[in-house]
Amino acid sequence: MRGMRSWVTSVGVGLVRAFAVVAVALLVPVVWAAAVLLGIAWGPSNPWSWLAPAVLVGVGTLGLSRPVCRTVRFLVARWSSTVIASGYRRPGPVTQLTTGYWWNGFGYERTDRDAVLDQKMRLRWRDPANWRDLRFVVILPVTAGLVAAVPPAGVAAAVLGFGGSGFLANGVGVLGVAVALGSAPYAWRSLEPVAVRFLRPSAAMTLADRVDELTAQRADTTIAQAAEIRRIERDLHDGAQARLVALGMSLATAEKLMERDPERAKALMREARTGAATSLTELRDLVQGINPPVLNERGLVDAVRAFALDSPLEVRVEADVELRLEPPVESALYFGVVELVTNAVKHAQASRARISLTRTGPDLVVVVEDDGRGGADPRSGGGLDGLRRRLAVFDGTLEITSPAGGPTRARMMVPCASW
Amino acid sequence: MRIVVAEDLYLLRDGMVRLIEAYGHEVVATATTGPETLAALLKWRPDVAVVDVRMPPTQSDEGLRAALAARREVPGLPVLILSQHVEQLYARELLADGAGGIGYFLKESVFDADQFMDALERVAAGGTAMDPAVIAKLFSSGSSNRLLEALTEREHAVLSLMAEGLSNAAIGQRLFLSESAISKYTTSMFGKLGISDDDTGNRRVLAVLTYLNNP
Repeated sequence: MRGMRSWVTSVGVGLVRAFAVVAVALLVPVVWAAAVLLGIAWGPSNPWSWLAPAVLVGVGTLGLSRPVCRTVRFLVARWSSTVIASGYRRPGPVTQLTTGYWWNGFGYERTDRDAVLDQKMRLRWRDPANWRDLRFVVILPVTAGLVAAVPPAGVAAAVLGFGGSGFLANGVGVLGVAVALGSAPYAWRSLEPVAVRFLRPSAAMTLADRVDELTAQRADTTIAQAAEIRRIERDLHDGAQARLVALGMSLATAEKLMERDPERAKALMREARTGAATSLTELRDLVQGINPPVLNERGLVDAVRAFALDSPLEVRVEADVELRLEPPVESALYFGVVELVTNAVKHAQASRARISLTRTGPDLVVVVEDDGRGGADPRSGGGLDGLRRRLAVFDGTLEITSPAGGPTRARMMVPCASW
Repeated sequence: MRIVVAEDLYLLRDGMVRLIEAYGHEVVATATTGPETLAALLKWRPDVAVVDVRMPPTQSDEGLRAALAARREVPGLPVLILSQHVEQLYARELLADGAGGIGYFLKESVFDADQFMDALERVAAGGTAMDPAVIAKLFSSGSSNRLLEALTEREHAVLSLMAEGLSNAAIGQRLFLSESAISKYTTSMFGKLGISDDDTGNRRVLAVLTYLNNP
């Protein structure tokens, strides 16, 4: 009974989907057919009769190619949850310059509306995806369109067969029904492999995307580095440097007072000693923030262990890796762990955390879990977003699952096949 | 005392040697790399060695590893580790063999030369001497809370001063208590930490160790 019902459902759904695929696939061929009919209607006697059909074919195909491809992608995503990247060129920002003109990445326009329109046109015209889309609307009718046309053809045969009279006509009708019912659950499924094969971004498009991504990352890295260097410079300038100057002054004064007032000289010396100790403490904190010495001396695993020991949480560290990575990677991962554990203390009020460092295949995976109240938010501009970007430089990823109420689980992954 | 100094930076090495000699001790050898340090320690068997953590050739924890290797050869060889920064991890590794004769200090502890020399002598005598910064880290880390709950606040204070390497008399002076009161606290503390009263000498080191090894 249940098997029966599910079969009926799959046949019904299959029929509807087959019709949808056929409709989408036939859009462009219908335009071509209309053009041919137009040419025939005007007749071969008129020497210009080919012109209108040619314009119709050109404009129709170009205009329909992108909507057809969008629809196919939408249907595939809807029916089989395979998401195909569109790979269309995205418009850059349109900015107003001090002159009052608008710059859209290609040229200057007087108003922002003009600038946006101009940008759209140019992007559309130069987009390498156009060729792929054109190719696809030609391929679609003779592949998925043809296969998906089987159940509708069966239905048509049944309608015609039972509509007619006589043994042969009825036989055709029965055959049509059998074909329609038999093929309905499967015919529409041919859309997905065809779309995946012919509609994915071409190599050139993938490369262009990658270049964009890398450009953004490079800018990120440069800015972050400059900010970091400024911070270090400021800390040194206002902290250790100033203290050392004061130290020198105290010592000079003490030297002067040595004979006249040995008591005050001694007091000054003591002061100088305290000052030296304080500036050392400051320098140590600064160094810890730039690159923790343990990381240099022992590498990632021991640095994480040392950090766990100093943390106010109960932290368990599990590591089955004894490898040294490139210093920048180690540093990014270490500060990632620090960031995540600090968040667990500060925002999630966790009491326990578990850090595990494992190698899965060619990747190094660092997982930080805590028993806090969750709600970690990798919003753009926050610390977690910064961490994600830092890892992205090494093609690493950050995944966070943090439902409200906890627990939080963050997974950092960095591919290290080449090291 | 006969002392070996291992430090790669000339200025610091020279200053250390002058300081030690000003206090009337003898520097029998100096070393500037990890392997040299190990060789000097095994060759001279000094009363105490002052060793920097980070040294050539690798600029990693060469000094620390040389010290640990020498102590594996000669158990209880007194070593005082000096570093620009202190790590619990290293402190635990140094104390792990339980033999005593270990010191671990920040480099600026030398600023207070009297106290530094004091610590050096304590280490030479087989005691432990830890920088207050190390102790503070040990006692504030999340992993140790369960054991701390067993100790009273007073015992806690006594234990941390003991870990720094102070004698009962010195601890008494710090806490404004009599020496006998301190020994009462230490006895009850040893009891709580499960250290038997069989006078193997190093009960104080053991107390710190037990504390460390109870995550």
